[in-house]
Amino acid sequence: MTDLLRDAVLDGAPLRDVSVVDAHAHLGSYGRFFIPDPAEATMVRLMDRCGVSQAVMSSCLAFAHDAKAGNDATAQALEAYPKRFLGYVVVNPHQAIESELSRFSGHPGMVGVKLHPEVHQYPLTGPAYEAVWDHADRTRQPVLIHTSSDSRFNNLEQLARIASEHPAVRLIAGHAGGSRVGFAQAIGVAGQYPNIYLEICGSFATCRWIERMVTALGADRVLYGSDFPFIDLRYSIGRVVFAELELEDRLAVLGGSMRRLLTPASEAGFGELWRAGGCGHN
Amino acid sequence: MTLELFDVNAMIGPLANEPDGIDSARLLRTMDSFGIAEAVVGHLWSVAYDLRTGNHRLLADIAGQPRLRPCWVVLPDTCGELGGTSRFVSEALEAGVVAFRAFPSTHGYRLASADCSDLLGALGEGGLPLLVDMQETSWPEIEAVAHEHAQLQIVACAVGYRALRQIAGVLSRTDNVSVDLSNLSTHLGLEWLAARHGAGRLIFGTGLPHRDPADAVTRLRWSELGADELAAVASSNLRRLLPARRAGRS
Repeated sequence: MTDLLRDAVLDGAPLRDVSVVDAHAHLGSYGRFFIPDPAEATMVRLMDRCGVSQAVMSSCLAFAHDAKAGNDATAQALEAYPKRFLGYVVVNPHQAIESELSRFSGHPGMVGVKLHPEVHQYPLTGPAYEAVWDHADRTRQPVLIHTSSDSRFNNLEQLARIASEHPAVRLIAGHAGGSRVGFAQAIGVAGQYPNIYLEICGSFATCRWIERMVTALGADRVLYGSDFPFIDLRYSIGRVVFAELELEDRLAVLGGSMRRLLTPASEAGFGELWRAGGCGHN
Repeated sequence: MTLELFDVNAMIGPLANEPDGIDSARLLRTMDSFGIAEAVVGHLWSVAYDLRTGNHRLLADIAGQPRLRPCWVVLPDTCGELGGTSRFVSEALEAGVVAFRAFPSTHGYRLASADCSDLLGALGEGGLPLLVDMQETSWPEIEAVAHEHAQLQIVACAVGYRALRQIAGVLSRTDNVSVDLSNLSTHLGLEWLAARHGAGRLIFGTGLPHRDPADAVTRLRWSELGADELAAVASSNLRRLLPARRAGRS
């Protein structure tokens, strides 16, 4: 039986006529481990190899050290590849959150906010993030949050509390809890709070867990992400392609669900917005 | 393009954290859906229950399935669990076992230790490769064993995405260590290692049933390797490490 997605992989050919949006990508080097050639041009080459249309990225520099310098690097990458990259503004609760959010207010390519409470050693439920929830409520931008079931900074209970307190804010659970225990907990809290979306990148997700997420929540609540150029682009995408799900559901996970979250920027395409109205970035 | 895939890293048996495990029939169905021709297979009973029972259960479960090649779990015979190291290895060879697999952390020993010296020497003399998940040991231990037992071919499995600095060091100082693809997940890690150390050091492996074959299959099929390198990683590197099939054995 032919299958548009699986046949492409097994033929070694890129996905064609499919809109794939990577909801969890990064930009730049990361000192904790060696990454061969994380350059943006190389990322685009690999996206072409697989048929990934767009990647929404956050800067490693931004969450590892310097939000301002890192977010500027993201903006430069978006300028270099306006049709291929979108960005998350990374905020650090120990640095100036509000000014960083306002600096990119109106930037057509910066389509969401990225939080990494674990790296910043600051709890997701802490008061410094109130500015993020206000921003996300006002702009309708999604907030991608690193989640892990065994963390005291960004576990699924903390995510549920934020989802409960801010029902209009769309929360993307990065890594969907990150482990078998975390996946089950993530499905549980996302079932309870409709403003939680599960993003599937990481070392431990499988086709089977993606099937469980889609069965429990619907494909519109499950988002493909790669974590590249940390984890290679070609790992988690295969878990969606080969999942025992209807083609329609796999297409939603691969890109349709994220695209709906990113309105209006991705509907028009950042490149078109850029050319039409300027980026508004200062 | 047609590509023969030979999986170095699969196991069958029930899983404690899933409602169902994977038996040989299901493994074959899974292999078919991913275009995997053959697999080196161990039995999960050998890991958390009983090594000898699991190893023999494996032979019974895959009997008559020529696509599934048996891999026995080993450990040092300090408590007499193998019934003698030499006898155990001879028994394995007689049974058609094509590889061994060690779980040092789970089984509570150190690979690079005096406890394992006889065992690893016997495995090297037997000419069969040793598979080890990298959650079960460390790169310094892999290197120490590789140097001490130069005849032994070691396949480091599930290496993760944060280990290239250590992998590159060990591959540069040894010639009997290979890496499987089940979780060789650093961005461009496969191509980088192939360019730097040769595609001959890389072996297709899925990590079934703990890992998903979608990972390694997609990674390899969409790789940027040339056709010869691709074929080597997909199957011929592993075939070179395994003994030839004996006539009359399925």
